Amino acid sequence: MTIESKTGESKMGINRRATLALMGAGAMTVAAPWVARAQAKAIKIGMPTILSGRVAQLGTSSRNGVMIEVEKLNAAGGLAGRPIEMVVRDSKGQPQEAARIARELVNTDGCEMIIDGEASSGSFAVQEVARDLGVLCVHTCSEASSLTADPKQRIPNAFRCARQGIHDSIAGGNYAAAIAKAKGLKKWATCSPDYAYGRDTTAEFVTYLKHFAPDVEIISETWPKLFQPDYTEVITRILQAKPQALYSALWGGDLTSFIDQANLYAMFTQMEVFAVNMADYTALTVVKNLPKGIHSGNRYIKTFPATAENAAWGDAYKAKYKEYPTNWSWQNATAIMLLNEAAKKAGSADGKKLAEVLPGLTVKCPFGADGTVTMRAEDHTIVGYAIGWGTTIPTEPYVPEVKAGDWKQIFELEAQWKKSKGYA
Amino acid sequence: MDFDALTGCLVSSACIVTQTTSGLIIGMLLFLVAVGLTLIFGVLKIVNFSHGAFYMFGAYFALSGYQLTGSFIVALLCGSLGAAAIGLIFERFFISRVYGRDVLMQLLVCYAFVLIFDDAVKLIWGPEFKSMGMPAAFQVPPLFIAGGVVPPFYLLLVAVALAVAALLGLGLARTRLGKVIRAAAHNPAMVSALGVNTALIYGAVFALGCALAGLAGALAAPVRSLTPGMGFSVLIESFIVTVIGGMGSILGALIGALLLGLVRSFGSIGFPLFTDGLMYLFMVIVLVARPTGLFGKDLA
Amino acid sequence: MSELQADRSSGRVVAGAGQRRSAAGADLLIAAIGFAVLVSLPFLFSSKALVDFVIRCAAYGLFATSLNLLVGYTGLISFGHGMFFGLGAYSFGLLMQRTGLSIPAAFVLTLLISAVAGLVIGAICVRLKEIYFAFVTLAFQMLIHSVILSWQPLTGGDQGLRGGIPRPVFLGIDLGNQLHLYIASCALLVVGLLLMRQIAQSPFGYTLRMVRDNATRASFIGINVWRVKLAVFVLAGMFASVGGVIMSLFVSGAYPEFAYWTISGEGIFINMLGGVTTFIGPMVGTVLLLILNDTATRLTEHYGIILGVVILFFALGLRKGLMDFVVEWYAERRDKASTRETST
Repeated sequence: MTIESKTGESKMGINRRATLALMGAGAMTVAAPWVARAQAKAIKIGMPTILSGRVAQLGTSSRNGVMIEVEKLNAAGGLAGRPIEMVVRDSKGQPQEAARIARELVNTDGCEMIIDGEASSGSFAVQEVARDLGVLCVHTCSEASSLTADPKQRIPNAFRCARQGIHDSIAGGNYAAAIAKAKGLKKWATCSPDYAYGRDTTAEFVTYLKHFAPDVEIISETWPKLFQPDYTEVITRILQAKPQALYSALWGGDLTSFIDQANLYAMFTQMEVFAVNMADYTALTVVKNLPKGIHSGNRYIKTFPATAENAAWGDAYKAKYKEYPTNWSWQNATAIMLLNEAAKKAGSADGKKLAEVLPGLTVKCPFGADGTVTMRAEDHTIVGYAIGWGTTIPTEPYVPEVKAGDWKQIFELEAQWKKSKGYA
Repeated sequence: MDFDALTGCLVSSACIVTQTTSGLIIGMLLFLVAVGLTLIFGVLKIVNFSHGAFYMFGAYFALSGYQLTGSFIVALLCGSLGAAAIGLIFERFFISRVYGRDVLMQLLVCYAFVLIFDDAVKLIWGPEFKSMGMPAAFQVPPLFIAGGVVPPFYLLLVAVALAVAALLGLGLARTRLGKVIRAAAHNPAMVSALGVNTALIYGAVFALGCALAGLAGALAAPVRSLTPGMGFSVLIESFIVTVIGGMGSILGALIGALLLGLVRSFGSIGFPLFTDGLMYLFMVIVLVARPTGLFGKDLA
Repeated sequence: MSELQADRSSGRVVAGAGQRRSAAGADLLIAAIGFAVLVSLPFLFSSKALVDFVIRCAAYGLFATSLNLLVGYTGLISFGHGMFFGLGAYSFGLLMQRTGLSIPAAFVLTLLISAVAGLVIGAICVRLKEIYFAFVTLAFQMLIHSVILSWQPLTGGDQGLRGGIPRPVFLGIDLGNQLHLYIASCALLVVGLLLMRQIAQSPFGYTLRMVRDNATRASFIGINVWRVKLAVFVLAGMFASVGGVIMSLFVSGAYPEFAYWTISGEGIFINMLGGVTTFIGPMVGTVLLLILNDTATRLTEHYGIILGVVILFFALGLRKGLMDFVVEWYAERRDKASTRETST
């Protein structure tokens, strides 16, 4: 209910009636202070995200993920008794706008915490605002490892509630190595988008693939640009290298373009393909000629973890928004679950108190590998979320069998990785 | 930089054939967009900054047409005619008001429509990306020509683009309408004084340019994902093509598009991480050496 | 280019030295008053948003006004001016993160770097005319953007300069404090505008107008057109980079988007919005665009449609920038008043 009233208010924000209404409201609070005190004050949470341009889906599905949980929470009494009021704004994918909006949300709109639905450079810009203003900030879309893993970036009041490339890569490396050994795949090629996420995730995957299967060799690397419309020259280059297997960190529309174009060259009959971002409904439901047997990590899929809670959540989301959730949706929903759990534990919705109890907090969550996810204390990033790999089929459930990753192994190797990077 | 790979490719015939054909494929689709851009500039003296949006409209109209009828031919028609119709409305009601005005004003009007069109597509078709899927007729294995791999769908694409180039070239050079268009490009006041309706010519040329961009979008729809704002990267590339080839020159657009395709396909081997930079560098060099582009100043 | 030229209708001759000096005095007075007003704002209104708003106005305002030196005064339509905005942000950010220099030293070095870059790029670009100049500057902009993305070890690639820009205290000024940053930005804005105003009103400024109106005639009377254009290109680039420095301090980082063509596009749009026939037009345009941007993002996620319609209103409705409109309206009224006086 609070959300509707907020949008109603902001729509009138600039006309005279609104000013009068505000003055009226002001007069009322002066005249009748008990009215204001009777209801718990709503807590505003600001959310800068990308709602326009090529990745508008990131913002819309993130907002959906947040709202589905916020509505549940408000119906159940709100965050430590205070109803949540979300204020979501479009940064258009520009970091200076993300920083500006984050500051405005806190300084002008009175938001007490920030859910940062920005990707890549935008999330680093919001991190600087959180550093400056000391406001509680939960990053929900940025998978760039350094955001939380690098002690130079880390701040006590910022948390990441999103996948991290290194986790996917260790699980993926292990899975791929087993197949490489079984099928004798020694010559590998990579094709990933040329930006930080693509480069880091690919380098990490290769490291762990070689760790588990030492005789694997990378014979070709291709780095198309992010949002490149045409992959012809990349595809022909890969075909000439004649690898036995291909790894790709392409995602979303780039991945589907790549698949459609590679299909023309019958690429998928010539090599095993490992595309970490394939098993996401955004890509699965869109590709018309999905080749059988692409290996993929899970992003969001309602059949993994194969629990009733997860399936129910996916169906409820689909019923409400007429489309399946994205990877961003579950990450944002989890952020609200974490905040709620933290507020219960702290007995308050105060951002500073939440930041104190969030480290190490475990919350029941349909997306957890064992039904829970944990905000790891040492580096403020979530762990224990469902992670697994499987092969695709062209129809639902798209990835019939998902082999779950082993978090114990992930933790061990991640610790070594952190040392090698100088992060620990 | 990887010179070994580049020299390695240049001594292998399979590599040369494959990369040259992929350069051709990239280039010909670019040509379809760029030739509309250059035609509009040549006749109307307008740098149509919103040209990418018509490529986008072509793709989305083709998608809707294909979903309704299941016919790729209908999809192509929907794409090009839909883009042409929007182009005509755009030209008659908005662009025609800025003829002869400052180039910045023209750009600004186009920029306004880039913003509006992108948001309109987001409202109509939704923010999520779409894919049309390959028509069944083209779901066939690729051909092998001289050791290189060539998908049949791309043969169609190249054939259509070449046909368009030939028709445009011949049409402008030989037909009466072509002569009038060339005359209008050269001296609109004179043509108008001779009793020719220049407004009609301008509208027709603008719609034709948009139809070509729409055709390119429709042809690309089976292999490229559709998103609001998808026209932008294509606009930038076709813009480079027209500048290199010479604004207003159809032959220039053809040569420029092929050159750029080759720069991309061989650049991806020699300079895999700087392919885009290479394109801009190429553009700077051409502009400095020959500001009007390789084939500037003459239409067709 | 006829409709977009600074001081088009004035037709005044170059003012004498004495007049110039008194005009400069008046500018100085206006600047001092402007600075005083700006500095007093945060003490009168306790709005933090206002502080942020003015800092961004300073960054974009310097950038847009410097672009007007090229577009309005010299008739050089640059589509790549944003490269200097990005260059300023990156040079300053990198110097602060990597060298441990003091802020003033890094600032001066940033100006030098921009000047050198402007000299090299300008030497190539200003030989081209009209639309080709626009194209080649755009190409350079995209080239620099690609280099920033590709030169990952230095620039951080697409993630930009991360981890915040250190701001060691100098002369008692702590730019980590938003109020100090505010005052410093206002000072840079006012000084920058004052300097650009002096450039525009100097004999050099009138040479620029002459080059714009008729380059051939200018070269006949012994003006080296190439050198004049290059000089103003370098100067404009330096002022634009100061805008970039302010922006990098505001967001405590530098991102490739700062060097993308959209920044140049915004600069041009600001100029069109405010009008290029007056010196203050781009500054008015900056305030307008930022207010428009901030309210539109508050109210809707369909920002593109709103901005598009506003652009159309200015381009097709008013057919000129706001300040151009105001100036013409004022001149018309004055003319009417004077004819009425003479008739009675």
